[in-house]
Amino acid sequence: MCVKHTSIPNKKYSGGDEVLRFLLNRLGQSAILLLIVTIITFFLINLAPGGPASTMRMDASPEERQAMVEKLGLDQPIHIRYIDWITNALKGDLGVSFTSSEPVVQRIAERLPYTIELTVFTIILSITIGILFGVISAIKRGKAQDHVINFFSVLGLSVPAFWLGLMLILLFSINLGWLPSSGVGARGADFNFWGWISHLIMPVLILTTTVLPNIVRFTRSSMLEVISQNYIRTARAKGAKESIVLYVHALRNALIPVVTIIGVLIPRLLSGAVITEAIFGWTGIGTLILEAARGRDYPLVMGVTVVITVVVVLCNLIVDLIYSRIDPRVKNV
Amino acid sequence: MKTKKWRFMSVILVFFLLLAGCSYGGDSSNSSGDQSEGEGTGSDPKKGGKVSIPIVADPTFNPWHPNAYAESNVVNRVLFSGLTQPGKDLAPSPDLATKWETSDDELEWTFYLRDDVLWHDGEKFTAEDVAYTFNEIVLNAELGANNSSYFQKVKEVQVVNDYEVKFIMESPVAALPAYLSFNTEIVPKHIFEGQDPWELTSFNKVNPVGTGAYKLKSYTSGQSVILERNDDFYGDVGLLDEIEYKVLPDVNTHVAQILSGELSIFALDDLASIERIEQADGVSVFGRETPRFFWIIVNHEEEKYQDKRVKQAILHAIDRQNIIDTVLKGYGTIADAGIAPALEEYYTDDVARYDYDPEKAKELLAEAGWTDTDGDGIVDKDGEPFSIDFKIGIQGDLEAVSQMVQQYLVKVGLDVKLNAMEWNAMIQDVVVNRNYEMSLNWWRYPADPDLSAYMHSANVKGNNIPHYQNPELDKLLDQGAQTSDVEERKKIYIEAQKLMAEELPYIFLWYPQEAQVRIDKLKGVPDLAFGDALHYIHEWYIEE
Repeated sequence: MCVKHTSIPNKKYSGGDEVLRFLLNRLGQSAILLLIVTIITFFLINLAPGGPASTMRMDASPEERQAMVEKLGLDQPIHIRYIDWITNALKGDLGVSFTSSEPVVQRIAERLPYTIELTVFTIILSITIGILFGVISAIKRGKAQDHVINFFSVLGLSVPAFWLGLMLILLFSINLGWLPSSGVGARGADFNFWGWISHLIMPVLILTTTVLPNIVRFTRSSMLEVISQNYIRTARAKGAKESIVLYVHALRNALIPVVTIIGVLIPRLLSGAVITEAIFGWTGIGTLILEAARGRDYPLVMGVTVVITVVVVLCNLIVDLIYSRIDPRVKNV
Repeated sequence: MKTKKWRFMSVILVFFLLLAGCSYGGDSSNSSGDQSEGEGTGSDPKKGGKVSIPIVADPTFNPWHPNAYAESNVVNRVLFSGLTQPGKDLAPSPDLATKWETSDDELEWTFYLRDDVLWHDGEKFTAEDVAYTFNEIVLNAELGANNSSYFQKVKEVQVVNDYEVKFIMESPVAALPAYLSFNTEIVPKHIFEGQDPWELTSFNKVNPVGTGAYKLKSYTSGQSVILERNDDFYGDVGLLDEIEYKVLPDVNTHVAQILSGELSIFALDDLASIERIEQADGVSVFGRETPRFFWIIVNHEEEKYQDKRVKQAILHAIDRQNIIDTVLKGYGTIADAGIAPALEEYYTDDVARYDYDPEKAKELLAEAGWTDTDGDGIVDKDGEPFSIDFKIGIQGDLEAVSQMVQQYLVKVGLDVKLNAMEWNAMIQDVVVNRNYEMSLNWWRYPADPDLSAYMHSANVKGNNIPHYQNPELDKLLDQGAQTSDVEERKKIYIEAQKLMAEELPYIFLWYPQEAQVRIDKLKGVPDLAFGDALHYIHEWYIEE
């Protein structure tokens, strides 16, 4: 509802209607999208070679495999199983995990907070450093600082996360012995602040190296575009301090495209940085996806897919709403 | 301008200081963890401390659950106990049962149980628990319990009195005590009775109750399982305070963590990083014999593989020692038949052997009618080129091994197409649907020479994946399975090995050794494969 204020004041009421209509429209689209995603995923995983019965030990007897198939109801035709699944899902029941016999919702709820933790730290670190470096690189265009930042951006984008992760473990955990190489640290009663932070450092660093360059480069190009605009020249001409011109006049407008890229990056991080989480034994959504796929845990795969789709859709929606708030020219129609 | 440059530099500086600051924090938390561990060992040098063991996924605390894979086995073996366990010579030795005997016709086995065993919740363990575990779970075909195929010949388990049970057999099974030592743990009747054993999540996933030397302290899905010492254990009470299983899906992490001292022991599957571990201080690698053999199988349903000369030619074509030296880094010995040297009593190498000899391979192929008539480098017969669809699953070093095998076979004129598949897809195709021509993999079996499951013609629908059928071998396998006199059995299995080596139901490659990686501080681990050594975890200790 805060979006209302972004509209031009004399159109206050129709503006509210517009936002509401926009929201309803988008939610309707999202529901259809979600349905399509579930159908495709359901059929894809069920038709993929190797079902849950083939995840059993190699020397499991045919009788043992058959018992598993019947127990999981996989002897039913696939369309019937989908209809069962979707009917239950609409009631909020995502089924029971094949591999652990626990409710899928519970398994996801256990893991999601850890991924959110990683995402929040990564985004905060990436945004602050990314925007700062992006701005520096733009105003120092062609100078040494710009080249250094560019060099590291390209490096960060090109170095594979799994390699860098292993190298960091080698350096900080094995050679120096400073940081624990994996895990999320003790939680609950044994929680201690440094234990927590020390487990976070390496995974956040790895994720940041993949996210940061995007933000740096976006900020840089958008800043370059903005500082060549007439109103910046006007601001300078009227004698505003350079720092005010840059950070008040230019940056605010330069950030608009950056919001979009952040909106794209957040769902990517929330849907689980599979490789990073696996290397650092970080028990988030990423490792859960891995477990689900490896164990042919159909209900879990479906559950995670639904959750990730919802996250992506919501993030996009929020970005669109924020967009209209920071740029009044954008209308959500 | 100067101030701006400084600002830039200071931002960089702050960033690194921040990192350094955080690192320092991590350091202090680590060392404080070590200290608290050290304090535990204060009074008695042997008691205290903990070991950390990696598992690749969340375990299921029910040894019979169809989802209880390797990661569950290593936990359940410590939480629960079986009637027997592998002795330090791998022969079945007493655990919950103190002794056992068989009737003259070998159709009845009597097991005498300990009377001093308590479940972790304080209830008394009795013969009822054994009877329940078998009659209601293992022998219930609808449930499809893990490993239940080993007990197909068991009709039922009868309670004689509180501490005596009888296994009633349909036909004699000499290996019964060995089977009972292999992932065959007893579960408590007082908790399972009236429940669906697979749906009992409060036990299987939350609060298992066993009889083992350690009991569950805490479990966090995706992170760790921590067991603590069971002071009421019926055997020698454990020395370690805690056993920690860390859920670490990535095996590279296992290597990193044992080098950084965060893990204590595990069996390394992929030997690519073994040299780095061997060179590291404070960590050692031990080669351990295990009852396993690597094999190539060919589908005997296809006519060309019914000629044993073709299989012998394949063996002559492959330089197995070279593969052992390069891919396995020396951790293995060439196999001639299926019975591994780990089973010292039964193993023999006095059988037909196939040295690396490509010329001999070509000769044998020519004898079988396969020669290169059109000069395209591929042998053919009746105008048909010898082309092979070689399907394997991607796991451990299987792919690296198969690529070398492919090279060797191409050299003698076989047109081999390697098809490396995702593991579950391979199982579906090769094991379940039998839609394959050649494959490469390995078997691990209980410490008993009975290989009927893998090569007896009665099991062509089961684990006799190559569809091998030979009445002569069947007869020997049947005799061996039904004879419990060790001397008698030895003779039978020596003969069986000679036959296997000659006829090649499997194209035997090598007996891999387990590369057991262990920190030097960890002592008291018997000279056994990791999985077997877990039965003796109460003897393990940390030496500072």
